[in-house]
Amino acid sequence: MRPRLSDMSVDTTKSAAVPSVGLLLRLKLRLLRNRLRQLVDQSPLQLLLIIVFVATIWGGLYFIFDHLLVYIRRFEEEAIIALPLIFHLFFFSMTILLAFSTAILIYGALFGRDEPGFLLTTPNPPRNVVAVLFLESLFFSSWSLVLLGLPLMAAIGQVQGLPWHFYVVFLVAFLGFVPIPGAIGLLTALAVALFLPRIAKRAAMYALLVVILGVIIWWGRLWNLFSESVSKQLVDNLLSELSYLKAALLPSSWVARAIELSIADRPMDAAFYLFVTVATAAFLSWWGHIIVAAKLLPAFARAQSAPHRPRRHTSGATSLVTRIAFFYLPRRMRFLILKDVRNFLRDPMQWSQLVILFGLLSMYLVYLPRSRTEGFPTEWQALICFLNFGAITLILSTFTSRFVFPMMSLEGQQIWLVALWPLGRSSVMWAKFCFAMTVTAGTALPVTWLSIRAVELPAGLATLQIICTLAACAGLCALAVGFGAVLPNYAEQSAGRISSGLGGTVNLIASVGLVAVSVALFGWVCWEMAQAGRLTLTSVNSKWALVALMALNLGSFAASMWIGVRKFQRQEF
Amino acid sequence: MAIELEAVTKCYGRLRAVDGISLHVGCGEVFAFLGPNGAGKTTTIKMITGLLTPDAGKITVCGHPMATEAQQAKSHLAYVPDQPFLYGKLTAREFMVFVGQMYSLGGRTLEARVNEYMERLSIKSFADQLAESFSHGMKQRVVLAAALLHEPEVLVVDEPMVGLDPRTARSVKDLFRAWADAGRTVFMSTHTLDVAEAIADRIGIINHGRIVACGTLGELKAKARQEHRLEDIFLDLTNPQEPPERHEAAVV
Repeated sequence: MRPRLSDMSVDTTKSAAVPSVGLLLRLKLRLLRNRLRQLVDQSPLQLLLIIVFVATIWGGLYFIFDHLLVYIRRFEEEAIIALPLIFHLFFFSMTILLAFSTAILIYGALFGRDEPGFLLTTPNPPRNVVAVLFLESLFFSSWSLVLLGLPLMAAIGQVQGLPWHFYVVFLVAFLGFVPIPGAIGLLTALAVALFLPRIAKRAAMYALLVVILGVIIWWGRLWNLFSESVSKQLVDNLLSELSYLKAALLPSSWVARAIELSIADRPMDAAFYLFVTVATAAFLSWWGHIIVAAKLLPAFARAQSAPHRPRRHTSGATSLVTRIAFFYLPRRMRFLILKDVRNFLRDPMQWSQLVILFGLLSMYLVYLPRSRTEGFPTEWQALICFLNFGAITLILSTFTSRFVFPMMSLEGQQIWLVALWPLGRSSVMWAKFCFAMTVTAGTALPVTWLSIRAVELPAGLATLQIICTLAACAGLCALAVGFGAVLPNYAEQSAGRISSGLGGTVNLIASVGLVAVSVALFGWVCWEMAQAGRLTLTSVNSKWALVALMALNLGSFAASMWIGVRKFQRQEF
Repeated sequence: MAIELEAVTKCYGRLRAVDGISLHVGCGEVFAFLGPNGAGKTTTIKMITGLLTPDAGKITVCGHPMATEAQQAKSHLAYVPDQPFLYGKLTAREFMVFVGQMYSLGGRTLEARVNEYMERLSIKSFADQLAESFSHGMKQRVVLAAALLHEPEVLVVDEPMVGLDPRTARSVKDLFRAWADAGRTVFMSTHTLDVAEAIADRIGIINHGRIVACGTLGELKAKARQEHRLEDIFLDLTNPQEPPERHEAAVV
């Protein structure tokens, strides 16, 4: 068929029509609508299960927050200090977490190849592209935190018996605050695209340098703090050390102050801080997106123009390390893991996040030996043992949600290759689990061992803590691999976006839930020991708590792997 | 001129991916851009579409410099990349409507054009399916149809024939020829030499970032001093055994 085009006149002087930002927003809403419609039409049971699961986790979190707040209220003086501090600490942590996660997501969204490559060849002004992708990244990076914040809000409101305006202030403060770290993340992503050295090794050295510098600064501060004896002075020092969280110029302290004032039934004063927060968020977002839009094209071009340098032959070392670390696996599974290790090491976006997580663990390692003092009271030994277990398992849950969960989705995209190997699909899943388990256990056990030495735990309890940590590693890794197979995202190539999507969020909530219950059970054991004044398992209750902890984590391991393997084997691609 | 490149250079680290090329493509032309893998074709195309910024030189599309009037230049341009991008959760029709709206089309004009190009590129049978289930060829057709909706003066296509069945490939070839006959321009990078031979008015061959030959098929044959097929000329001019030699491009 010959097309009829010869009657069309060509006008190269026609003016460029500028599409509105609303068009891109409508596109994103349509994508969301289509996704939901597809889920309702094709997998209503899966949708129902997700809703029930999330509701259960919310209920669980509400229960924990509620009981924690009731417990704190028993100690009136401490509650007066602790409650505001919780808000300041919560929003300060959120600033860092959101800035970091938005930076990762917006970098992939703005400087990846596909969508920006398409949008930037159209007459869409860069401002529109930046504005919409910024909003989308903000949504993805914050929605899991928003969902986690809701049970906290409900628990505070219920325990304190607060009026309706508290809920309004909390929600507005939360939503008004989110763009502030988001804008910081946006500008960070631009700086990375424009200025970060493109040679991975140099970038790695800079990242390590930053982490080490951070550790040294913190080490110095904590050295002073924990070299004091364990006394009221320590608590005072700790509060004074955290006083910078209340600095008047920190946006996190405005939000925390607004909530505090709302709890104190002073809604008009709270409104002032809300106004400051929202105005700052609007200012930063507006200028952030204008600056990024102005530099978008050169930054995109730079991000796309990785230097073509021949890679030096380093596969021998990686192969050797993999062979040693995974000696217990069959050869073919080792090859699969070697492929994952190489992919991971050659992707700076991936390993730079791991460096930061390891940085956190390093900080922990640096401070641990300083907390040792002569004649450590039994209660403090039990308390520190409990805190160590909680800190390690929480970091592990972050690690598995961020790095382990996306592995099945990424592998599924190459299933045409993997499925042809003489290696069953179940072996693929087991290889992922063994990879994750080896890395998490290899990191967690030395830290646990150091913490045990620091508080001089007796051998029996030390063994018990190691076994509990191993069980938590197994439970968390299996949960991430299993959810990765049950709720995969085969369309997304960015591991960061996979982990911040629906499946990743469900996995994160489930992991936090598993850790919360495990830590509560472990805490019970420590509490019983502290009450008895002896670090031995004497009461029947504590023995049952340990049995429950092991059963929970091993049950999570067995159920997750069984369900995940079945799903992955039946999956059609 | 539809597309003008003046001494354009692009480096990736120490590698000069595009090394001072100059090229003029006029209105009403189908220009085939050939070269071995890694010769600099896609980099050149990305610079023409404004996705990459040249380190040196100047690029103009329909009289608008890409460096200073990108938005005006892009409104005359459509680009179909080698890896077609579609939103997985949009249907083919929704994607086409969205692209049309970006170019300020609407109402009956948009509806008519969507239907026309769907018909022409045999998309109607899967028009209302989500793009995530499409094969490469289906995606290629949808992206091409969407690119043509606003009837751009310059159509830049990177490997347009990959994944297309013979009937659609024939339709696309006819479409490109008709597009040029209507006074518009098609700038096409391809490894399918038969297509270049069949529909291109002029052919440019790039190797090691430099234009080693440019002209009509007859001019290239004369330059290569042989009456063989384009394939032989291409293999002769891009022989990896010989050091890259700068040929004076026969710029028309």
